[in-house]
Amino acid sequence: MKRAEIISQLNEIFEDIIDEGPISLSDTNTANDVDGWDSLTNVQLIVAIEKIMNIRFTSEEIQSWKNVGEMVDCILTK
Amino acid sequence: MDFQLNDFFKQQFVVTPEVYKHFQECSNDRNPLHTDEEFARAKGFPKKVMYGNILNAFVSYFIGECLPTKNVIIHSQEIAFKNPVYLNETLDFEAHVSGIYEAVNAIEFKYKFIKPDGKIAAKGLIQIGVLK
Repeated sequence: MKRAEIISQLNEIFEDIIDEGPISLSDTNTANDVDGWDSLTNVQLIVAIEKIMNIRFTSEEIQSWKNVGEMVDCILTK
Repeated sequence: MDFQLNDFFKQQFVVTPEVYKHFQECSNDRNPLHTDEEFARAKGFPKKVMYGNILNAFVSYFIGECLPTKNVIIHSQEIAFKNPVYLNETLDFEAHVSGIYEAVNAIEFKYKFIKPDGKIAAKGLIQIGVLK
């Protein structure tokens, strides 16, 4: 899957889970940039990404991400 | 993690008059479908229908009391009601671990409630977090 396709899929997942309107993620986005992206929502986001993309993360991977771009980098390795 | 994929759990629940009464008091839902035999019959049911959300309370008991650890919190719970439940019916509850998300310490269960006649009363998904 290409980077742009992953971002597009992440937008859909974030919109569904956060449910506060359209979301347009970019590589530099962090939780502070997205309304509704808090620690509880983050669990739902990770579970949804793992289910929909049929991948698994480790807790070390998740804790290492500084922004959406690093999340995408990690997904590209799966 | 205290869970493995496909771990299976089984439990029995009965919608006793006490359960019915307490749920009614707790919810304050006195809709006649749940309280008036004649109304229920007029709507095509043989007797008054038990509150579907009593089954959610049973799910709460399952998560809170029946798992191998007490370090749990419910993240989300989905239920689809398939067939009505009546007073004093015994329901077989079956659940299995359908997903493990170790990165965020989350577990997903698929579950169903089975009526005495073998029909599904309700089924759904529960996602829990395992507290550290």
